[in-house]
Amino acid sequence: MNSKISKYLHYLSLLIFVAFAVLLLYINREVLYTAHDRSEFLFGATFFKIIMLKPFGLIQYVGAWLTQLFYSPAIGACALGLIWTCIFYVGAKAFRLKGNASALMILPIACLLTAVVDLGYWIYVFTIRGYFFSQSVGYLMMVTLLWAARCTPRKWHLLWYLFAVCSYPVLGWFALLFIVCLALTEKPSWSELVGLLLLFTTTIIWRRLLYSNIKFEEISLAGFPIFEIPSSRSDFLSVPFWVLGALSILFVLFSRFLTKWYVSILCSLIGIAFTLSLSFYDKNYIDEMRMVRCAEKENWKEVLNIAIGNPKPTISMVMLKNVALMNEGGLLDISFKMGNDTYPISNPDSIPVSFLEIASPVVYYNYGLVNESFRLAFECAVQSGFSPCYLKMLLSCATANGETELVNRYEAHLKNQLFYSDWQPNPMNKNIKELHNSYPDELTGVENSDSYLVNSLSLWYDADSKLASEQALFYSMMRCDSRRFWASLRNYIKFHTNEVFPLHAMEAYIMYFDKAPEEKKMKLPVSQDVYDHYNKFWTTLETLIKSGMDRNKIPEQMRSEFGDTYWYYNVFRRKIYK
Amino acid sequence: MIKQIYSYSLSLAISLMLFASCVSHPDVPSSHRECQELPAIFPDYCDVTVPCNIAPLNFMLPANEYSKCVARITTPDGVQQTYGKGVKVQIPISEWRDMLNVSKGKSLKVEVWGEKDGEWLSFAPFDIRISNDSIDEYISYRLIEPTYVAWAYMEIAQRNLSSFEESQIFNNEITSNDKTIGQCINCHSYQNYKTDNMLFHVRLSNSGTVIVNDGKISRVNLKRDYTISSGVYPSWHPTAKLIAFSTNLTRQAFHTQNLNKIEVYDLESDLILYDVVTDSVSVVSNDPDLLEVYPTWSADGNYLYYCKSVPLPEELRGEGNDIRTTYQKVQYNLYRKSFDVTTHNFGEEELVYDAASQDKSVTVPRVSPDGRFIMFAQGQYGCFHTRHSDSDVYCMPLEEGEATAESLTLFNSEGYADTYPSWSSNGKWIMCSSRRYDGTYSRLYISHFTDGKVTKPFLLPQEDPEENTFRLKCYNRPEFMIEPVTISVEEFSRVFPD
Repeated sequence: MNSKISKYLHYLSLLIFVAFAVLLLYINREVLYTAHDRSEFLFGATFFKIIMLKPFGLIQYVGAWLTQLFYSPAIGACALGLIWTCIFYVGAKAFRLKGNASALMILPIACLLTAVVDLGYWIYVFTIRGYFFSQSVGYLMMVTLLWAARCTPRKWHLLWYLFAVCSYPVLGWFALLFIVCLALTEKPSWSELVGLLLLFTTTIIWRRLLYSNIKFEEISLAGFPIFEIPSSRSDFLSVPFWVLGALSILFVLFSRFLTKWYVSILCSLIGIAFTLSLSFYDKNYIDEMRMVRCAEKENWKEVLNIAIGNPKPTISMVMLKNVALMNEGGLLDISFKMGNDTYPISNPDSIPVSFLEIASPVVYYNYGLVNESFRLAFECAVQSGFSPCYLKMLLSCATANGETELVNRYEAHLKNQLFYSDWQPNPMNKNIKELHNSYPDELTGVENSDSYLVNSLSLWYDADSKLASEQALFYSMMRCDSRRFWASLRNYIKFHTNEVFPLHAMEAYIMYFDKAPEEKKMKLPVSQDVYDHYNKFWTTLETLIKSGMDRNKIPEQMRSEFGDTYWYYNVFRRKIYK
Repeated sequence: MIKQIYSYSLSLAISLMLFASCVSHPDVPSSHRECQELPAIFPDYCDVTVPCNIAPLNFMLPANEYSKCVARITTPDGVQQTYGKGVKVQIPISEWRDMLNVSKGKSLKVEVWGEKDGEWLSFAPFDIRISNDSIDEYISYRLIEPTYVAWAYMEIAQRNLSSFEESQIFNNEITSNDKTIGQCINCHSYQNYKTDNMLFHVRLSNSGTVIVNDGKISRVNLKRDYTISSGVYPSWHPTAKLIAFSTNLTRQAFHTQNLNKIEVYDLESDLILYDVVTDSVSVVSNDPDLLEVYPTWSADGNYLYYCKSVPLPEELRGEGNDIRTTYQKVQYNLYRKSFDVTTHNFGEEELVYDAASQDKSVTVPRVSPDGRFIMFAQGQYGCFHTRHSDSDVYCMPLEEGEATAESLTLFNSEGYADTYPSWSSNGKWIMCSSRRYDGTYSRLYISHFTDGKVTKPFLLPQEDPEENTFRLKCYNRPEFMIEPVTISVEEFSRVFPD
């Protein structure tokens, strides 16, 4: 093929891949923000010493620092892009990829890109410090070393092997990859044999010399991302890194055969296909992140906007929506209209991520349960790191509790972060204050679920607070608990005399009056329309049952007419709060 | 060796980073405004008494108020030196040692200047008294987050008090072989402040009690059919190879409003005696209705002191009275039993201190090395005072006569938990774990002790005073040692199966 066309194709391929990467990162901008928000980087020698306890620690430290840049996803993405551009150019020289073959470097970059966008819900629980940058930085250092080594005479290779062994505490598994790549660049000789011998002994040597306080399996292939938490493991997420290593070896062995004109376009397409096949995208996953971010800023209108646009919300989204309605008004008028059915998160690895990790601290905080919010933020931080998200929450709780010195401690940590020098928690708003002051001190167990929150809020039906009476009534309805409903309705009425009976409360009242009345009936005026609608609900239901319709299909059949009522939730709800 | 070199190099690198720009001898500000108050330095070392072998008392002015700090230290022989970089005053160890050497039994005079809003303020000078009494060279503690349910990495560490060197005795990862349950390590304990006879527990994954007997390491299971649990809170007999333990069935719960936040309580607890030589366990006290905990030996080994709950009021006993409703009524008194080291027999129980009659509860007793005093933590209720803000350290003479416990007021903080007191081997220094800094992260405070009188406590010095802020761990169970643990983490790990 004409060399000019071949060149154009080459650049076009690169352009296509770059465009794809930019688009993918743009789509995942909320994920990038969350990456920074859930990644631990602490200022001071203490954190540095801890991270340096393991090989690859220095690069992880650098990675952890760089991850702060995702505070602004655009800046973080540019930094990543810069590193990948360097990898592209330096890698092409290190692997001696000339002309079209240089497009092969798209593939390692596709691996690194995939590693950023394939995490899914692991982003909330994984504990690999500096993950989002450290592998890119490590690979860049590896190819730079390889380039430098291949620029030196072959007789120096032995020194390079020794250098790689020495650099294992810094480079980790990339030092081993470097040895393999360099050894395969030349025909085997005794120095390559020594290199391969060193490959297998490096870890043992360093464990004896420096890392005897650490288990052997944590030293071997140091820095290679292993996705493991106490109850789950994902080998799938390590695939991009195995491919990255394998590609580097293949480049050394076969790059000279890969100079055809179509290599560029092929690499671009393979890179895109690889990334797309492994990347994670789920609307709820993104919406949860957006809602949590808005909730932290007390931007409740936006929380509601996101909730309105999402027909199948997760538990976290429903809880956040109800907090937003508490703050914006209309909880007992539109909450069930907007839907309180919850749907499971898209979680292919079945990792134990729930409301606890995603949104519980901010939800508990906004319900005035400051100690609980502090505990949950703390539990999460202990396990996955004192990231900005948890530091901000701990600081907010300490401020709310008036623990000045504790505020100073967390503030000192945040102030030393790149983008939080001026960050201050929102002053405790009047709703949080009112709820906080109205709840009694109780001793609770290790409960931390959404059902615990629903249970607690519905249990405090005798609280001396207007807002708490509304919450107790609402959550007794969420629990479909007639006993608590009647108790909380009494309290609610006491605080809401001469106010309009909210629609959902009225719906629940009509239903419980009919199906689960108290001995001493409480009579309240209700709208004739709502009452008629209620009767129609049961008539329709009975008709459908009598018609022999599959019971699983009845909810769908009734949704259009009754899906916005409390009765529909009560009878067909997907989530049962006990 | 190489590990040590690396560790020193790393420390050196960090120190260089910190100090390269930090160690300086700045000029005293030429113009300044006189200020009558003492400087608000952190840690507060104003007018403290310190051992003659303590590490430099580095401090700082609050970074949110001041931009610079200069301190001038004058030794009793009139030699002056200034320190200060930014808001921190960090004194090189060698210079500090020279100052201590010429100041034993006397005082260092410290003058501090702070720059605030472009103006230098000169504060009232203060003294640091250098005691002739030295302190044990090492302490050990567990570093752990002020945890609720979850925990992650934790370590038992030892610290040289004459320098800033800190090293690991054990961590909870090296032998953990089941990530689903994890591992917890706790309750390090030494015989007579020496480390050739010591122990610590490993819980959950790969569990057991690691016992070092004359330098030989073994891992034992202290649980017997007739005990509630394996050994928990330990105390080595001062002369025999015997260890008293409590056995506990412990639970925790969380306050929804109270700033104590966490409540830890025992559902059951007894006392046992473990014979290291014969690997046998005998029961010391196991009242089925009451709770015995925190055994500790007298200095001569002739008495075992411990805490024991008093019966609950009649109306709170029986079913329907959950511990969550009765926990505030569970109070412990201090008792002792005589002990015959030749027969291993215990005598009758004697009440030593009746805390419950004063509506109080006593925990973690420790007898002074000369046997004249006993220290303990006292709060309003319960057995886990580390989470009770009303907990203070008390001291009581053990000599004949009517003894009363006095709060070590100067040693204690106001409104924060002060607990886990311990004595240095010469009985001249006492240490406690206190949450006084921020109510959450416990730190170690040390005071000079003479005949029941204490001096103002000082916070364990750190190379960088901000370390106290940036370290998000608690200092748990501080113990004095006259020598370091020389067994490495890896050597300890060998007694565990892979």
